[in-house]
Amino acid sequence: MDFRSLRFKLTLWYVLILGILLISFSSFLYLTLSRSLYRDVDHKLRSLAELIASESTSPSSKFGFGNIDQALEASMNLKPIGKFIQVLDESGRIGRTSENLKSVQLPISLNALRNGSKGLITYETNHSLRNTPLRIITYPVKEQNQVTKMIQVASSLEDVEDALNTLLIILIVTVPSILMIASLGGQFLANKALKPVDRITQTARMITSQNLNQRIQTLKVKDEISRLIDTFNEMISRLDQSFRQIKQFTTDASHELKTPLTILKGEVEVALRKKRPLHEYEQILESNLEEIDRMSKIVEDLLLLSKADIGEIRLNREDIHLTRFIRGLTEQMKILAQPKNIRIEISNHQDEIHVFGDTLRMRELFINLIENGIKYTEAGGSILITLTKETDPPPEALRRAGGSLNPLTPKERKAATFAKIIVEDTGIGIAKEDQEKIFNRFFRVDKARSREQGGSGLGLSICKWIVEAHQGEITVQSEPGKGSSFIVKLPLYSQQGESLDNY
Amino acid sequence: MRILVIEDEIKVANFIKKGLEEEHYAVDTALDGESGLYMSEVNDYDLIVLDLMIPKIPGLDVLRRIRSNKNKVPILVVTAKHSAEDIVKGLDSGCDDYLTKPFEFKVFLARVRALLRRERVDAEPILKLADLILSPVTHRVTRGGKEIELTSKEYGLLEYFMRNPNKVLTRTMISEHVWDYHFDSMTNVVDVYVNYLRKKIDKGFEPKLIHTIRGVGYILSPDRP
Repeated sequence: MDFRSLRFKLTLWYVLILGILLISFSSFLYLTLSRSLYRDVDHKLRSLAELIASESTSPSSKFGFGNIDQALEASMNLKPIGKFIQVLDESGRIGRTSENLKSVQLPISLNALRNGSKGLITYETNHSLRNTPLRIITYPVKEQNQVTKMIQVASSLEDVEDALNTLLIILIVTVPSILMIASLGGQFLANKALKPVDRITQTARMITSQNLNQRIQTLKVKDEISRLIDTFNEMISRLDQSFRQIKQFTTDASHELKTPLTILKGEVEVALRKKRPLHEYEQILESNLEEIDRMSKIVEDLLLLSKADIGEIRLNREDIHLTRFIRGLTEQMKILAQPKNIRIEISNHQDEIHVFGDTLRMRELFINLIENGIKYTEAGGSILITLTKETDPPPEALRRAGGSLNPLTPKERKAATFAKIIVEDTGIGIAKEDQEKIFNRFFRVDKARSREQGGSGLGLSICKWIVEAHQGEITVQSEPGKGSSFIVKLPLYSQQGESLDNY
Repeated sequence: MRILVIEDEIKVANFIKKGLEEEHYAVDTALDGESGLYMSEVNDYDLIVLDLMIPKIPGLDVLRRIRSNKNKVPILVVTAKHSAEDIVKGLDSGCDDYLTKPFEFKVFLARVRALLRRERVDAEPILKLADLILSPVTHRVTRGGKEIELTSKEYGLLEYFMRNPNKVLTRTMISEHVWDYHFDSMTNVVDVYVNYLRKKIDKGFEPKLIHTIRGVGYILSPDRP
């Protein structure tokens, strides 16, 4: 048995606690019994001594005749068995004794004599007289407030000691046996309880990144172990999912990078197969440059996203006057929209919309969204940007609040007003089944078109990250053939220098 | 030899087409699975180069559907998918060879030649008829040890003749295997090129190899029909 195992520890604790309980119980039993037995002996000695004393002082008593046995029998018809009786005068000289003492005298200690002369009762245990100890009471008899004699009554403690010894033997034999049996039982119970844990261990040991589809067999009974198994299985599912995502992402990323590489390699190799006129080389170099730019964009975006994933990007947040900010951006974007004759318009109902954001990232977010709009809108179309304030609570605050049980904190209620920015185009739209995938990395509705436009396939993933890093939310609504709306919600920044921290 | 390239990446399709054409092959390109499958059904190709990740109809489905049409054309899959499972899946779906991107163009050409060779019984890397020898690797053509200079089209025409010796080849067959789909079948371009070729390989040599079959087409054979 492994002494570090939980099984051993459980059994050990079980036996230890049981042992402590049994030993305390046995000690208690033994001590109580022994006290009660000794008290009983004393009690009997005292009542007999009192009886003899009252008889010996009674004027009508027949106590004065013969030895003590005879006197007791004559006066009270009493035959005390196993009791030794001895009468002393006030100075300790021995007078009458009971017959069973024969020539022996009950020992009398100085202490008892001293107590006796003061009229006090003394109990003593004497080991000197016989093999078995004797319990002796020295009882002074007073007449007119004068100690006239002392009566000693003694009894052997043999019976008491025998009884106590028997009990002790029983306890010494039974307690260890019970503990032994209990340890076996404890081991059995621990084994039974821990068996599923072994199964969990085995399965968990077998699981690698290659076979994350394995699950631990669940139990019928819903106990702590079954909860543990469920928790384990859920964890494996989550691992499985994230491994899958990583794998998909790696495959996608390598494919995205391989395409420009294939073009670069292929074009150069074909070009080098023979001498060509200068303009052909120029064409090839231009095409190569395009592919190199594309690769740099992909690599840059990938780097940004992987940094974002591990939380390495810090936002430099400041008060942004969103209305002004987006107006400025739109003016710049109009240059891009001009060749396709696409109009960009802003409609906003409130002028004072402030958000607390990183200017650089906000620029990236809205440039991406507007650029997307331009890319996927036919010539002559339009892009409409709408700015409003909304009173929806932030999603994560609502999740945390979990209904009405935990009402929003004042701070959250304050933050529960959102800036809502809609970038709406009149472009080709996105099919329903693609709408939820559109924020996935490298997902493209139309691969060829996206590459023609020089996209990395990561733009919307980056948008999503930026919005979420600002505690916001981004969604899409679209109807194929009519256009798409990207809806960004960002928490409002409280205005007029009114700080959130006042709440 | 006429080759169809089904590849959605325009630049990849273009350099493959350019490189193959410079090797005297006639090349058509299709940018998605649907048009690729259609072209494979209406034209008689000697080889198809297929990318697996293509829009409209995925590459593996194109592969299966070409095979279910009882079309035995050699198919070379060129794709970025490089895992063992992908390769097995591709070969099991009916492709003849598998090349992962990015690839060496030299290797690509060698595989194309190997697949074209597979159709012939002897499968020798050098094509030979009487004392006429054509090497698809070096593009050298000799007759009786004498080097013959051919233009690209003449070379393509001769390669097709030599891959199908002693067989009557109609004008349609010739135009389909030597020219791409920009060929205008209403002209007598085939006859013009056959005459050019005849002048270069038969003039001053015996026996004559190219013979006209009146009303049908031509045959390349050392024996008079």
